[in-house]
Amino acid sequence: MSKGVLLFAHNNRQIDYVRMSILAARLANKNLQVPVSLVTDPSTMDWIKESNIEKNVTDTFDKIIITQRPEDTKNIKNYRDGSNNTPAPFTNGNRFSVWEHTPYERTLMMDTDYLTLTDNLSQYWDVDADLMISPCYNDIQGMERTGYLDTHISETGIEMLWATTVMFTKNETTKVFFDLVEHIKTKYKMYSDVYRFNPTLYRNDISFSIANHILNGYQNTKDYSLPDIFSTADKDILVDVNENRLKFLISQPNNEYVATTVSNKDVHVMNKFSIMRNYDKLMELAQ
Amino acid sequence: MQEQLDKALEFANYRQSFAIQRKTLKEKIDAKLTYGFSGGIFKINRSLLNFVEMLIAKGRTENVVILDVNDNPILVEKLEPFRDEIFDRYFTATFEYLEQYQKIKKARSVETLLEV
Repeated sequence: MSKGVLLFAHNNRQIDYVRMSILAARLANKNLQVPVSLVTDPSTMDWIKESNIEKNVTDTFDKIIITQRPEDTKNIKNYRDGSNNTPAPFTNGNRFSVWEHTPYERTLMMDTDYLTLTDNLSQYWDVDADLMISPCYNDIQGMERTGYLDTHISETGIEMLWATTVMFTKNETTKVFFDLVEHIKTKYKMYSDVYRFNPTLYRNDISFSIANHILNGYQNTKDYSLPDIFSTADKDILVDVNENRLKFLISQPNNEYVATTVSNKDVHVMNKFSIMRNYDKLMELAQ
Repeated sequence: MQEQLDKALEFANYRQSFAIQRKTLKEKIDAKLTYGFSGGIFKINRSLLNFVEMLIAKGRTENVVILDVNDNPILVEKLEPFRDEIFDRYFTATFEYLEQYQKIKKARSVETLLEV
């Protein structure tokens, strides 16, 4: 069975998802020892050519799949960088198309801000489950910083899965799942009424959670899942990368920070600006 | 008085960093003790190690069914290589845990903690 990682990158004016995807791909390729492919769009491809990183992109990725850019211009998210906010389009509404686009029989779809620094996910390639999603968010500091809306889709809603990492086998069962995710995206407002969540910002986590809930017979079931998403929040700051150690400032109440390091552990770095500031040093980890 | 307060706040800051480092280390080791085998996922812990060793001691070394983390039945055709693999992973992970834990315990300031 062919195995590989698939990343999605649709640039906006503030975030260079393609450069982030190169980093994520190099790390995944080094640590998981599988090929990595990219799904992107024509305008992002134009930017790749203009920026003279085409060779870097073609050298990094096994396959480059060009698709239509999702129409998410009204899906505006506040990208945080510590205490600063930058509003920008959140263009990720086509994750359901992973089933159609993947060139692999067994696929690991990941966010481009998920840094694979270990081979831990390799344990899951051969698990006897068609679809596995991370069941929860695992804040670097612990539960005290984890809000109810990090674990549930709303105050009264179902438990939230984290679509940051999703592994699946391409078969008829998973096609039904991803078709359902697409349907939920299309009817997002209606589902927000049924499942009682805020539809202002489209989130894959919510669509995937609802699809999983429906296909499990409208109940939570104990099944195979990927590891928790070990995360630093976007209000945290990656300040340095040194000898395999990622040094973070972890945000505390009263605008204070606590310093800590992470090494040899997969980590979801939500502060994308701080990834870009440390890009060259992070790339050294992928050598 | 101010100096005492500053020292207390500095120590609190150190303890917070220490707690985060310890949590991260524990989870790192926990991931290393997760073992994918024959379509199942096993958590390598004392219970699994003891159970497998007991089966081997009783002469049940082939075609044994063991329940994984989801209580799904997984057929282990040859139990001894399975035992060797989980023992190896357990000792590698726990020795790393000990080594790293001692380092963060000995670090008495945030600066030294960050070097671990």
